[in-house]
Amino acid sequence: MRVLLIIPSYNEEANVLNNYNRIVEFNEKSKIKYDAIVINDGSKDRTEEICIKNNIPHISLVHNLGIGGAVQTGYKYAYKNDYDIAVQFDGDGQHDVNYVKNIIDPIINKESDMVIGSRFIDKSSSEFKSSMTRRLGIKIISFFIKMVTRKKIYDTTSGFRAVNKKIIKEFANEYPVEYPEPITTVETIKKGYKVDEIPVSMNERENGTSSIKAWKNIYYMLNVILSIVILGIGGKKK
Amino acid sequence: MSINLIIVSILFSIFIIITILFLLRKKKINIKYSLIWIILFTILLIATIIPGFLVWITHLLGFKTASNMVISIILAVLVVISIVLTMIVSKQDKKIRLLIQEISILKKTFGDYNEKK
Repeated sequence: MRVLLIIPSYNEEANVLNNYNRIVEFNEKSKIKYDAIVINDGSKDRTEEICIKNNIPHISLVHNLGIGGAVQTGYKYAYKNDYDIAVQFDGDGQHDVNYVKNIIDPIINKESDMVIGSRFIDKSSSEFKSSMTRRLGIKIISFFIKMVTRKKIYDTTSGFRAVNKKIIKEFANEYPVEYPEPITTVETIKKGYKVDEIPVSMNERENGTSSIKAWKNIYYMLNVILSIVILGIGGKKK
Repeated sequence: MSINLIIVSILFSIFIIITILFLLRKKKINIKYSLIWIILFTILLIATIIPGFLVWITHLLGFKTASNMVISIILAVLVVISIVLTMIVSKQDKKIRLLIQEISILKKTFGDYNEKK
């Protein structure tokens, strides 16, 4: 089983090395080894320089694409290099490499096609659950996903997720540019794949600012809801 | 419709058509995307030149004045063209994204290959 961690990074000079070192440390102790690839999304800071200097495997996008385009590049890379499992792993220290095992286990055991690392499914597990407004937003998205797919997804915006080979191929072909997490969740369920949530704990961001500033924005919600509803109207796609 | 308005309309149509043709010659615009403008303004030009034609259409469609009708029709056509343009932009967006991704992956693969040598 070859596992690739896709680490989308935009202006993460403060985190990229720490983050990578933790993966290396983990690999030294663990039986399963994870490959990692940093997708440098046209950062304007020293992210690329740090990657080159420290021999961190990375793809530097020649122009900024936004989170969806960056993550998809990772899936394309995984597809071209024939990885069995791809894990989306944030570059800002929010995700813990020790939990990767938890979310890839159901895929290794062929119990699910896609696993979402969830902060909300199990109350005790996560200390960091983000702000009230953000949780409300996640709940609203969750409601719409339930309406369209009949499946309850608790942590709809979690960027910590693992997928199997089939979905790597799907994502390499087609991936939404914006608001990719909730939209891909709906698309994947609609296509008949098995999507599960596994409780994980997330840390607060170490440095830098989150890419979802748009949370404050109603516009974000409207966009996501519209996308989900349209997928619902589209019916079952084969 | 007053004679002044007719003259302005004719001059404007001719101006737009010439501009488009000029841009085409300078290769600043694609023939594919320019055709719609030429057709639109040629129709307007012909409609204004034929005496009584605009008045006849105006009554037929139930507008009060010819200028109202012309504005309404142009507005409707502009909306359609804008939607088509949005579609074109979205498609180009996708193509550019693909290019950036493929070039970036290629650069990485090439870099790896050079290191091994």
